[in-house]
Amino acid sequence: MIGGQAPGEFEGLPGGGSTPPTGDRGSKILAPLKAEGVRGVAIAVVSTVVVFGLIAFAVLTSSGWPVIKEAFFDPTVFWDSLSKIMGKFGRNVFIFVVAEIFVLILALILAVMRSLRGPVFTPFRILAAAYTDLFRAVPTILVILLLGFGAPALQLKGVPHSDVFWAIVALILVYSAYVAEVYRAGIQSVHPSQVASARALGLSRGKTMRFVVVPQAVRRVLPPLLNDFIGLQKDSALVGVLGYVEGLKQAQIVSAATFDFTPYVALALVYIVITIPEARFVDWLVARDQRRRQVAGGV
Amino acid sequence: MAETAALAIEGLHKSFDGLEVLKGIDLEVREHEVVCVIGASGSGKSTLLRCINLLEPVNAGRVLIEGEEITARGVDVNRIRQRVGIVFQAFNLFPHMTVIRNVTLGPIEALGSSKADADALATELLERFGLADKRDDYPDRLSGGQQQRVAIVRALAMKPDVMLLDEVTSALDPELVAEVLNVIRELAAGGMTMVIATHEMGFARDIAHRVCFLDEGVILEEGAPEQIFSSPREERTQRFLQSIIDAGRM
Amino acid sequence: MRKVLSFLAVGSLLFAACAEDNPTIGGTGTTTTGGTGATTPATAADCAAANTDAFLSPGTLTVGTGNPAFPPWWEGGTTDGSEFEFNDPALGEGYEGAVTAEVATRLGLSFPDQVAFVPVGFNKSFAPGDKDFDFVLQQISYKPERDDAVDFSDSYYNVNQALVSAQGTSVADATTIEQLKEAKLGAPIGTTSLDVITEQIQPTQEPAVYDDLAQAVTDLQNGDIDGIVVDLPTAFFMAAVQIDKGVVVGQFGTESDEYFAMAFDTGSPLVECVNLALAEMTEDGTLDAIEEQWLADKTNAPVLD
Repeated sequence: MIGGQAPGEFEGLPGGGSTPPTGDRGSKILAPLKAEGVRGVAIAVVSTVVVFGLIAFAVLTSSGWPVIKEAFFDPTVFWDSLSKIMGKFGRNVFIFVVAEIFVLILALILAVMRSLRGPVFTPFRILAAAYTDLFRAVPTILVILLLGFGAPALQLKGVPHSDVFWAIVALILVYSAYVAEVYRAGIQSVHPSQVASARALGLSRGKTMRFVVVPQAVRRVLPPLLNDFIGLQKDSALVGVLGYVEGLKQAQIVSAATFDFTPYVALALVYIVITIPEARFVDWLVARDQRRRQVAGGV
Repeated sequence: MAETAALAIEGLHKSFDGLEVLKGIDLEVREHEVVCVIGASGSGKSTLLRCINLLEPVNAGRVLIEGEEITARGVDVNRIRQRVGIVFQAFNLFPHMTVIRNVTLGPIEALGSSKADADALATELLERFGLADKRDDYPDRLSGGQQQRVAIVRALAMKPDVMLLDEVTSALDPELVAEVLNVIRELAAGGMTMVIATHEMGFARDIAHRVCFLDEGVILEEGAPEQIFSSPREERTQRFLQSIIDAGRM
Repeated sequence: MRKVLSFLAVGSLLFAACAEDNPTIGGTGTTTTGGTGATTPATAADCAAANTDAFLSPGTLTVGTGNPAFPPWWEGGTTDGSEFEFNDPALGEGYEGAVTAEVATRLGLSFPDQVAFVPVGFNKSFAPGDKDFDFVLQQISYKPERDDAVDFSDSYYNVNQALVSAQGTSVADATTIEQLKEAKLGAPIGTTSLDVITEQIQPTQEPAVYDDLAQAVTDLQNGDIDGIVVDLPTAFFMAAVQIDKGVVVGQFGTESDEYFAMAFDTGSPLVECVNLALAEMTEDGTLDAIEEQWLADKTNAPVLD
């Protein structure tokens, strides 16, 4: 790991012979093509078309296909439900964007609390660990049900009754527990010599965290952070159990009215369309950071 | 002793998990003196240096800088570390910051310098060591040698009383070692008090005022470089030096 | 290039993901003729006898309904060994229970020995593929849009929608639809109750749509909603049993053409048999008697207009 660079293999990559950037998933899939040239590309295209064509053929000619097509891919129902779903999906977006902002902040606080060393910080560490254990254990839907129906039932002044409010609170509580662990893994993955270098300069523990550890930790855990964000996006649909009509609930309404499952396919497509660009964006961020990270792995 | 030593170590003991690594170190370093510490891997060189700036807590003994006991209770550790610069073998620079930011972070956040002052000092140091054109680069664009030089500059930006260098060339490719050694030579010529742990025997012979041979947690032998390298007294010192010669590194 | 491949892959996988290889049951829907003469069965029993193969399990009528089985549609309480909560359908009590028992008898089967009940969730009642039941009934309304996915029987109950609330809410004393416009209302999902809100009442606040009526009740008691729209008999049950200080505010018109029907797999020959049974029951007054017995005190509510 520590050592000179392999001569000539990675031009322009000074500072160590560690592995090349692996952040860009797309280029890994297509990398063999670049090596093979035009012939390789032709083979790849033919192979892809043949394999997926065979799958499609097998499906479309199966005896159950007409029934499936009508139940899941009905064009009329699709377009009708798509417009209705997209009209309500903005509510999901609001919920998960607001929740995510607070999650990223609260989770970082929890992770730092858990990482504090020194005996005086013991109660904070215990609190952070207990919080994480509790909210990872209880199913998200239960937390939403308990808060969404339980809190208003207390009939206390000033306690909001809004479904959206309690759904966001529940999602923040639950997801902060998961993301805190992701942050913690990131923090622990920063090489101890980074901390030593910062402390050696005379930086306090707090400033070391703030300027040296956390920025590196966050960059390291972008893929799992995105994973949890994608989970949060999907869980935004759980607000429906409180009676609130968002994307999924709207799909259910149309589905029940038409006895058809196509609305769910429409909703699935909406989710796919927003998630894929997010994944590519994070891939790009990671690839950019990978280049810099090599430095911390070598001299 | 007429003057206070820049660095004084008295009866330093250090254990890890019950295993004693430093078994009573006594060392005095005068101002402007360069002391090279040699010894086999595991002899405790790194541990010794890390104890000096309190990155490792000591189990017994005292460390004094300019006469101030830094191992005493209630000492402001951060303030002490600002006076002792240390450069490690690897993982030095902060990869998410540019070179200039790496160098100015300490002065701004630990010393409280203004951004302008910190910038000016950093620029001057980078220029002095031929790194001015790298100031806005991220460390990943620098060679290993350049990174270590920046690491030394970063430590210098804190205006330390003492510099500790922990095998700073051991992880470098041979062709990059020289540029770093030259920087250290320049520092020594400029009168910086330094304690250098190193494998580079030729270099040590050149710049050290004193060489200490660390063996199994104690300073087995110390003296002027000519004496240590040409006619070591202790048998273990001789064996160690012989193994270095056999490895072709001297 | 990458995008083309991605689209190919995603598109094919989407289509492939739902592959099922099931022939629909019931074949072409023609009835097999019995040995003796007429090709159109005269009675429900004849029809059933002529179509024994169409039953999921010949010699038994398999009926699906929701679990828990709620009053007043199912009554009699639970029995040990039955997987149904609240009420055991095999007791043949409650409106739907009694109707089922009577239909089975008309088909020439003895109740409850030759009738099996299976819990069927709402979505399962119209999901494509092999069915676990001969027909399902759980207050499912006929709707033309639903006709493609299942075959419906004729009506076994003409239904009116109603508003149920609790004393002290803003709608508890309402007599007109106009008075409901400012209210926050709720309805269970998958029912025409929601249509009543969106099409007839058209309140300024969006309705809440619940997966589960118990949650609607909780919101009502919390004051988060002012009233719930459900079918009239269910409204009475909720007001009497589930809602604290519950009150049936009123019903929405007595002339609605909404009706409950049994849902069958498409092309099932049993639809005709059951329709014959229902026709017999209507003609000789049995259906009215069942309604009298189980829903008599659950139909009198002021009309909101």
